[in-house]
Amino acid sequence: MIKLLIVDDSSIMRRTIEKNLGHFDLEIVGTASTGVEALEVVKKEKPDIITLDITMPEMDGITCLDNIMKIHPEAKVMIITALSDKLTGLQALDKGARGFLYKPVNSQSLTKAFDKLLKRNTAK
Amino acid sequence: MIERRKEEFEATCKLFIDSVSNYFKVLTEINSEMGIPYLKNAEEITLKDYTGMIGISGNRKGFVYISADKTMFEDLIYIFIGIENPSNADILDMAGEISNVVAGNVRANLGANFMISVPIVFRGKPEELKFPKNVSIYVIPLKWNKHEAFVVVGLE
Repeated sequence: MIKLLIVDDSSIMRRTIEKNLGHFDLEIVGTASTGVEALEVVKKEKPDIITLDITMPEMDGITCLDNIMKIHPEAKVMIITALSDKLTGLQALDKGARGFLYKPVNSQSLTKAFDKLLKRNTAK
Repeated sequence: MIERRKEEFEATCKLFIDSVSNYFKVLTEINSEMGIPYLKNAEEITLKDYTGMIGISGNRKGFVYISADKTMFEDLIYIFIGIENPSNADILDMAGEISNVVAGNVRANLGANFMISVPIVFRGKPEELKFPKNVSIYVIPLKWNKHEAFVVVGLE
């Protein structure tokens, strides 16, 4: 089963993502509210897919993404952020993110983005 | 010069109004209604039960917050994750998340130099809460699903 880690400083958002991805064949191996916590889970669980917020305390998502790519470069990281400027999106993709979603995200937009990401995952 | 700054400030308020409208429309499929914005002094600011506030830095400085009664956040939480009696922590979290999304979405127009903080969340009106005196403060009344709330934008 594909292993998923959900990273967002909002507990409501983490549970919203979990609920909306329930119909995919995914095993949630962890949730984290900061970049620091996320890195601990990445080291231990080596998740296949990570949803990653950017605006978080302690360590922001872009710094966290940099570290994830060093520890576990095979991880497919999907950024889910409210920061909807183009520069942030380009910066994340440049650092290795495989997908990018702007909040607010609903069930349809999450499903569409994950369909695309998992198809790519299967293809590889 | 003053007129130009006023226009710029009102244009920024419009971005926040659009951002709030989009949030409710996309996530709840219930449209929100915005009232006519009005100016307030820092001493007269109204706060409802719970508030999520975002600090703004970079090429603009100030804050934006969304303040609403507990029942509005409870309804949003129910729609998102189906919990009927959310904890105080959940309600504060919801207040923070909505303010984060509303402020973050404004960067689509204002760019990455419009920098936002992580949310600051609180219940009621904490005594230590102080608003800067050198900002213009616009209050935008908001109605969603029979709830009344305020979006408050304060910018230098």
